[in-house]
Amino acid sequence: MEVQFLYSLITGIFIGGVAGYLGSLLITKRMALVGDALGHIALPGVALALIYGFNVSLGALPALILGIILIWLFEMRTKLPMEALTGIVFTASVAIAFLFLPEEKISTALIGDISQVGPWDTLVSVILSIFTFLVLRKIFNKMILANLSEDLAKVEHIKVEKHNFIFLVCIAFVVALGIKVTGSLLMGALVITPAAAARNIANNLSQYSFGALIIGVISAVLGILLFKVFALPAGPLVILVASLIFLISLILKKK
Amino acid sequence: MENLALEVKNLSVELRGKKVLEDLSFDLREKELLVILGPNGAGKSVLLRTLLGLYSFKGEINWARNTHLGYVPDDFDVSANLPLSVKEFFDFKKASLPEISNALQYVGVKSSPKFLEKRLGTLSMGQLHRVLIAWVLSDKPDVILLDEPMVGIDIHGREIIYNSLVEAWQRQKQAVIFVSHEIGEVIKKANKVLALNRRKLFYGKPEEVITPQNLAKIYGGAISL
Repeated sequence: MEVQFLYSLITGIFIGGVAGYLGSLLITKRMALVGDALGHIALPGVALALIYGFNVSLGALPALILGIILIWLFEMRTKLPMEALTGIVFTASVAIAFLFLPEEKISTALIGDISQVGPWDTLVSVILSIFTFLVLRKIFNKMILANLSEDLAKVEHIKVEKHNFIFLVCIAFVVALGIKVTGSLLMGALVITPAAAARNIANNLSQYSFGALIIGVISAVLGILLFKVFALPAGPLVILVASLIFLISLILKKK
Repeated sequence: MENLALEVKNLSVELRGKKVLEDLSFDLREKELLVILGPNGAGKSVLLRTLLGLYSFKGEINWARNTHLGYVPDDFDVSANLPLSVKEFFDFKKASLPEISNALQYVGVKSSPKFLEKRLGTLSMGQLHRVLIAWVLSDKPDVILLDEPMVGIDIHGREIIYNSLVEAWQRQKQAVIFVSHEIGEVIKKANKVLALNRRKLFYGKPEEVITPQNLAKIYGGAISL
């Protein structure tokens, strides 16, 4: 097996896993479309990274942070619903990106490309994925309890606002990482589809969250293998495998 | 006399510019059972939440140092499709298996591996309430605040659970604040009753304050026990 392919595979496995795990919390908190919106907000940063040839995730992260701060400021100022403001910011981001995104880079920005990841990119992705996963695992139960009853969580001395903020930072990290694999257009599916499939078949929380992680990993492995065999873009293949697993989970779903 | 667990002086609470509670003063001693009565919308739930530190207020709320509080809210609901098992719910409290089965026993639920594997969201409302009470009991708080905990549990079940809870509280030396909109079983073992409708209606030992005249203040008619 060639080394380049191995780098792509390792990058996909770790990012797919942490994205699935994150998705299990996103669905529970009814934030399923956040991954999708943030994937678009990152686009101007992704465009800059592609033009100047640096790591896509490094470009995405500052764009995400800027976007999140803007939404937060707009909300404080207008009290409009969060999803309306997110809608404004994410479409504006797409518009800005398309002003300077070169035509030959459009497909990479929209559906990702991990065929060229280098050893350093791979190492950084692996470390950030593991780190984000550990943080998410630490706050997981507290987030679920706060989701059941915020009052109950506060009485249990859980700092709900602080945890929500940490969670938001984790989402930004996962989106920045995932955008390399699936691009800005398909990012939402990378976090949601594996978790939705796991939710269909899980009996309890650990089956659900780790099931989502495993389905994320399987989707990445199979998608990237198919990319190797058929020489089609990896991002869409990863998402299609995840979608297929979702369909299978529907059949297995207990009544 | 037992030590003070809680002292409340001249407590007033305003929510969205509206006065919800005005000038309440009462106290709770260790091992005491305080029942809070009042019609719907009297501010009973707001009072509990304020005592728990969830709302801002005027006046004084003084808990004894290092008091560990347990809270049974009245609006606890779990979506049926959330894959969270009863056992995992208790894991949030880091409760051990013996602690879980002990706590469940107090609310009349037999703990079995099969029951612990059940999804929380598939339990009936009465069962869910029982599990929630057991959950709060499982790490032995010093003071337990319960907001209408018997809703959804049938009359026969209520009496059994109530008696076993009182026994548990006495054994574990816990103080309890119990909110109810109706007078029933709960009054018989109370040390104190506080009736309110935004302001205090009456406050004292049940044998002294539960009189037809006083009850008429709450419910607006002649009722006797």
